[in-house]
Amino acid sequence: MTRRGLPVFLWTVIVGSLLAHNVYLWVSGGIHPDTDILALLPAERRDPALEQASVKMVGAAEQRLIALIGAPDWAEARRAADAYREVLARHGDLFQLTDQAGERMESDFLALFGRYRQVLLTTADEAALHNRPAQFWIDTALAKLSSPFSGPQLGAWQDDPFGLFRSWAQARAQETPVRPRDGRLFVSDTRRAYVVIPINLRAPAFSVGGQQLALPILERARQAAQSAVPRANVLEAGVVLHAAFAGAQAQRELSIIGIGSLSGIVLLMGLAFRSIKPIGLILLSIAVGCLGALSVSSLVFEKIHLITLVFGASLIGVAQDYGIYFLCQRLSANSEIDSWQLLRRVLPALILALVTTVIGYTGLALTPFPGLRQMAVFSVTGLIFGWLTVALWFPTLARERAGKPLPLAERRAAASMRWPLICRNRATYSALAALAIFAAIGWSYLSAQDDIRSLHNPPKKLLDDQIKISELLDLPTPAQFFLLRGATPEILLEREETLKTRLDPLVERKLLTGYHAISNWVPSAHRQTSRRRLVEKALLSDDGALAVLAQQIGEDRHWVAALGARLLAPAEPLTVDEFLKAPASEPWRHLWLGKSADGYASVVALSGLGKAGLAALSQAADGLQGVQWVDKVGEISSVLAKYRYAMSWVLLLSYLAVFGLLYPRYGFAGWRALGPTALASIATLAILGIMGKGIELFHILALMLLLGIGVDYGIFFQEQGRADDGATWLSVALSALSTLLSFGLLALSKTPALQAFGLTMALGIITVCLIVPFFRKQ
Amino acid sequence: MRSCVWIIAALALLGAVPAAKIQSMIAKPTVLCGRFDQTKQLVGLKKPVKSRGRFCVLAEKGVLWRSEWPFANTIKLTRDEIVQLQGERVAMRLEAKKEPTVRMINSVLFALLAGDLDQLEKLFEIDGDVNHQSWHVTLKPRTAALARAIGAITLDGAEYVKNIAINESSGDRTSIVFSAIQTGEGAMTVDEAALF
Repeated sequence: MTRRGLPVFLWTVIVGSLLAHNVYLWVSGGIHPDTDILALLPAERRDPALEQASVKMVGAAEQRLIALIGAPDWAEARRAADAYREVLARHGDLFQLTDQAGERMESDFLALFGRYRQVLLTTADEAALHNRPAQFWIDTALAKLSSPFSGPQLGAWQDDPFGLFRSWAQARAQETPVRPRDGRLFVSDTRRAYVVIPINLRAPAFSVGGQQLALPILERARQAAQSAVPRANVLEAGVVLHAAFAGAQAQRELSIIGIGSLSGIVLLMGLAFRSIKPIGLILLSIAVGCLGALSVSSLVFEKIHLITLVFGASLIGVAQDYGIYFLCQRLSANSEIDSWQLLRRVLPALILALVTTVIGYTGLALTPFPGLRQMAVFSVTGLIFGWLTVALWFPTLARERAGKPLPLAERRAAASMRWPLICRNRATYSALAALAIFAAIGWSYLSAQDDIRSLHNPPKKLLDDQIKISELLDLPTPAQFFLLRGATPEILLEREETLKTRLDPLVERKLLTGYHAISNWVPSAHRQTSRRRLVEKALLSDDGALAVLAQQIGEDRHWVAALGARLLAPAEPLTVDEFLKAPASEPWRHLWLGKSADGYASVVALSGLGKAGLAALSQAADGLQGVQWVDKVGEISSVLAKYRYAMSWVLLLSYLAVFGLLYPRYGFAGWRALGPTALASIATLAILGIMGKGIELFHILALMLLLGIGVDYGIFFQEQGRADDGATWLSVALSALSTLLSFGLLALSKTPALQAFGLTMALGIITVCLIVPFFRKQ
Repeated sequence: MRSCVWIIAALALLGAVPAAKIQSMIAKPTVLCGRFDQTKQLVGLKKPVKSRGRFCVLAEKGVLWRSEWPFANTIKLTRDEIVQLQGERVAMRLEAKKEPTVRMINSVLFALLAGDLDQLEKLFEIDGDVNHQSWHVTLKPRTAALARAIGAITLDGAEYVKNIAINESSGDRTSIVFSAIQTGEGAMTVDEAALF
């Protein structure tokens, strides 16, 4: 094997194994594009308890779906819900319908809490036991005795003569407005009654296959409900709906960008080279790049996110740059020059171009967003594999001039070569001055935007349903909560109780409607003991309310003693473990995170939290030990802001780093390679400002990319042999047009982050392409 | 007398209307007020607990239950809330917004008012007999939960309900006797009307 044959052979082996690996991946189903909408959000690996809390608050709901079937009349709502349920019940392999509201709920409830009734008090009753005279409790007991109805009863009068347990049970019941009714779960607003149907999805919510199976059935169930009762409406919420929507959108965009870019490149290459071979070669380098990107990404990451593929599709427009450059050089070079000699001549430029582009993509990997890191790895490997294909195969595959350039291209190229050089005459100075004024105006409009919505932007119908369901069910917000830690369950419960004393005034000020906590159900042992004493003193003592009551209703001391004994709480306190084992705890178990390496942790969840409440709540836990306010939305916004700021500096430093890279080859003239990109970035920001776009992290990251790709064009222009060399202009124009096409299509994405990338890149590339000839070598 | 059936329905989340024949015997005024005498026999108490007072039933509005003796205690049920007043003090307030069963209780109430007997028959098995001007009905809850909550109910009446007896599963028993029924505009006193 010749010295030149070896790398060709080695690369053939590698590409062969890439191909085999890809075939294996697709055949074995190893590539499941992931549609996890949270994948773009920053990970919290540093804090396991916080991560666990977030996962439980949001993630545990992954497999959950909730459907509300409403109608103006309960009977109608029931009929529609039964029709809906029936459709889902036929697909038991996909949907698990939780049992209809059981008969056992109340007896289960009493079996556990009935034993501890005397220590289960509302805060208001506890205060009243401290403050109110015995007469207050005697009146309460007498009223309860005589009234034919005083709210739902729990057991006989003698089990709860003062109504304390009933108030507590009522307060607990009011933590959710959902009630069992006719064997179903019922909730209502002023106009409609709803049947609540909780559904567990058996297929993974983020698998495209599962979504494709589940969604049509849900659609049929909706139709069944509506044909049973035309007035019925169906509200649905669930992670799977968002994921399915995001997935379908990503797939649509993937094919638009993929097919659009590819056909655009084929057309461009056809027009430029008027020959099949260059088209085939470029497609080959793109294909190897994509195969490599898929292989490596699937080895590095557990799952490849669909959004990575959408972004990755724009790689098509970048990975061909090196091939085009080589082919254009081949086209213009003397046909006596050997392809390998040509490669040796263009290799430094190719290496610099690759390294700078890799630097551009690396910016993505520096952020804490797993999705962006995946995009970076995918793109960088794709580029490297595409580049290696050019470097190792093209000299052999493109031995002779392939195709002939269009005269038009050469004429345009020649014309551009006559463009004035920058800083050589007054016209270019005036142009620079005009640009400066334009930039100043544009930049004055710039504002920052760090909204979580740029990461996930669900359609209105999904959002509306979700808001309505949250209102109807009074669901706690999954994004804001308190995370509490303590060495023992008892310490944790006591900390919850302290926190709750700070939350109660906020509930009274209507900043939130309520809170959910395990300590609502299981008071700390300390609190249980103090309540026992309180009840014994205020109600059961010799001259307490019970004794006086007995006189009024004609009962004797024995009666008082017997009833007192009956009302006494057991000495052993109710424990969290006991509660968690009982069926009544089912809706609240996610609040208890249990034991971890550094003790116990729990969540206090908040419902009915408005914007006004956020500020007050974020300070509610100030100074409390072991209590942490968690605001996922705020946190993500602040992460976005922090990295927008940090990446702006990284961007500036990258310009310095790239200049340093170029220095050995071009010396101080390296500014000519860097200048177009820098000016284009300034102009792009100005245009974005005038367009009224708030600058996000993703715009800055796109400018990193623009540096990586735009500087390639500058490099190619510094490499040109003769001043009227059309090959350089042709390759830059072709590269720029195909990059523009890819990112322009990405700008149509409905995912705001990708759209920001696409738009910034498209604007930047156009500008670079227009001004780079001004910066050519003298 | 249907009015008292409403009370039961409203009060105990259950309602009962026997056959169409009984329905035809019962008057349907928009306002109905009267006196009640209630006796409760509670498990664990030697003596029965007695109380008496006035009640009113207003079509489309709700129910008022006012104990006058041995002390003043008022319960008012409307579509949006159940309020218990001990003298002037609000001893308890259940809002429909927070406690959906309030609206359910009221929807049963209003279903009765509208003559929607189907709704009630879903909750209870109705068994009754009629003799000339009077009738007797037994309501048996269809679900165990309802049986636990309220137990069995018997009603006696003619044009209006005369007696109601409730036997709770806990063993507590309530018997209510109605008298001095008035209907129409003048049935309510001024301060009763002020509560609505």
